Amino acid sequence: MIPTRPWRILALGIVLGCGFLAGSAAGYIDPGTGSYVLQIAIAFLVGLAFSVKVFWKKISIFLKKTFSSKDGNGPDAS
Amino acid sequence: MRPEGVLPSSFRDPAGRVFRRDGVLYRSILGPGRPHYDTLMSSGLYKELVAANLLVPHDEVSLGGDAPEDRVTIIRPEEIPFISYPYEWSFSQLQDAALATMEIQKRGLHSGMTLADASAYNIQFLRGRPVLVDTLSLRRAVKGEPWTAYRQYCQHFLAPLALMSLRDVRLGQLLRIHLDGIPLDLAAALLPLRSRGRPSLLLHVHLHARSQKRYEGRDAPMARRKIGRQALLGLVDSLESGTRKLRWRAAGTEWADYYGDTNYSPEGMADKLKAVEEFVAAVRPRTVWDLGGNVGTFSRIAAKAGAMTVTFDIDPACVERNYLATRAGREAGILPLLMDLTNPSPASGWENRERMSLLERGPADAVLALALIHHLAIGNNVPLEMAARFFARAGRHLLVEFVPKSDSQVRRLLVTREDIFNDYTQAEFERVFGAVFNLRRRIPLSGSDRVLYHMEMK
Repeated sequence: MIPTRPWRILALGIVLGCGFLAGSAAGYIDPGTGSYVLQIAIAFLVGLAFSVKVFWKKISIFLKKTFSSKDGNGPDAS
Repeated sequence: MRPEGVLPSSFRDPAGRVFRRDGVLYRSILGPGRPHYDTLMSSGLYKELVAANLLVPHDEVSLGGDAPEDRVTIIRPEEIPFISYPYEWSFSQLQDAALATMEIQKRGLHSGMTLADASAYNIQFLRGRPVLVDTLSLRRAVKGEPWTAYRQYCQHFLAPLALMSLRDVRLGQLLRIHLDGIPLDLAAALLPLRSRGRPSLLLHVHLHARSQKRYEGRDAPMARRKIGRQALLGLVDSLESGTRKLRWRAAGTEWADYYGDTNYSPEGMADKLKAVEEFVAAVRPRTVWDLGGNVGTFSRIAAKAGAMTVTFDIDPACVERNYLATRAGREAGILPLLMDLTNPSPASGWENRERMSLLERGPADAVLALALIHHLAIGNNVPLEMAARFFARAGRHLLVEFVPKSDSQVRRLLVTREDIFNDYTQAEFERVFGAVFNLRRRIPLSGSDRVLYHMEMK
C-alpha cells in the first residue's frame, strides 16, 4: 500500500533514502541490514518525539508542583 | 530427573552456557561474556533489575572441579519451576513479557548497557511475573551503535501482538512455526489496513518489512552513521507505547463462560471442590498440572495448598482471563498456559531439542483431569487406553472425572455425530484405567452421574 498522509510519505522517503547509513554491530545475533537501516533512518524522528515527550512531562510536573504549592501555602488555603 | 550437561537450547551465545550438574542449573560466564557480566554486577543494574522483579536472581558459586566450566565464573540462577514458551502464552502474557523486555532495555540504557537480543524465549514466568532469565543478554552498550535486537523485538513481540490484537488472537500460534518470531513481511501482509494508521505499527512493522525486503541479501555500506542515546531511548519509547496500546478482550469463545453454562448442581460443584481439596491434602504435590483447567477454579485450590500449578486450556479467552486474575490477585503459584491436549506443544528447534515438548517438561506430582475425558474420548476419538497412558506420563497421581453418556455435556457432543463409542462406559473406564493406575478413592458427585477417581500410578 502506498501511504497517502504527508508524514508517512516523509517516513518512507527517509527509509528508502538511507541505505548508506547502516553500521556494524557487536553481539551474536544478526540485526539484519534492513532493520539496521530503518533504525538509523527513524532515529531522528523517534529521538525528537521522545525529547518532546520528556520536555512536556517536565513542564507539566513543574506546573503541577507550582500550582499545588500555591494552593497549599496561599492566603486562602485555610 | 532432568538431563545433565549443557542444555540443548544453550548454544547460540559464545558468552556463556547453561548446564545442569547433579540436578542443579548453572550458567557459565565464558571469556567474551566476562566484561559484560562484570559491568552488570558493578553498575548496580543487576540489583535494580532483581529488585524490580525483572531479572532472575542468581548466586555466584564455585564448583571446584577440573571440568573446563569450573575454571570460569559460574552463577546459579533461581530455577524457573515450569519453562513455558511464547506460543503457549495468552495475549496479556506475551504483552507483559514484551513490556518487561522494554523496561529492561530502558533501565539498561540508563546504566550504559543494552540487551544483545530480545528473544521472547529469554523471558519466563516466575511467581506469576515475567522475568529475564538470560543474564548474559545484558551487554555493555557501544556508543553510537544501533540496537542489534530491534528486528528480534519486532518479530518476537510487536508483530505477534499486533496480529493477535487486530486480526485474530489465534495468529499467536504462528510463533510455534517461526521460532525466531513472525517474519515482518508475513505480519505486514496479514495485518488489516487500519494497522497502518498506527504510527508504531507503520514504522516498526510495515516500513520495517519494506526496508528488510529492500536490503535483503545486500551488502549495505557500513558504519558511517552513529545513533545517539536519546534516539535509542526514543526507539524504546516508541516500541513500548506501540506495544502497550495493543488490546485484546477475552470474550465470545466457546469455553470462557463454561461455569455459567454447565449442568452442575451447587452440591455437585461443592463435592468437586471438596474432592480437589482432599486430593491435594492427601498427595501434597509440589507441582500440579490442571489439564483442561478453564479459568483455573480448581488450580487455585492446589496453588493455595502450596503447589506450583500449571493450568492448561485450549481456549485463548480462558487462559487470558486466568492470567489476568492471577496478575490482579498477585497469585504466584499459578501459571495459565494455552495448550491443545490433542496436539500438545512438540519438541522443536535445532535437532528437535531446542524447545521441549509438553511431556518433556513433566511429570508433575499430580494431575487434575476434570470434565476432560469425554472431550478426549468422544470429541477427539482417543481410546480410553491411550488417554490413561497420556495421564500416566503426565503425572504420578491423578484426579480424573468420568462423565458418562447420560450427562448433558456428552449428549451435546454426540448430537451431530454417530455414537461409535460402545466402549465409553464407566465399567470399561474403570477396567482400562485400573490397568495403569491403582484406585485410591472413588467420589460420586451429587446431582449428576459423574464420578471422580483418585488414582496413583502402578
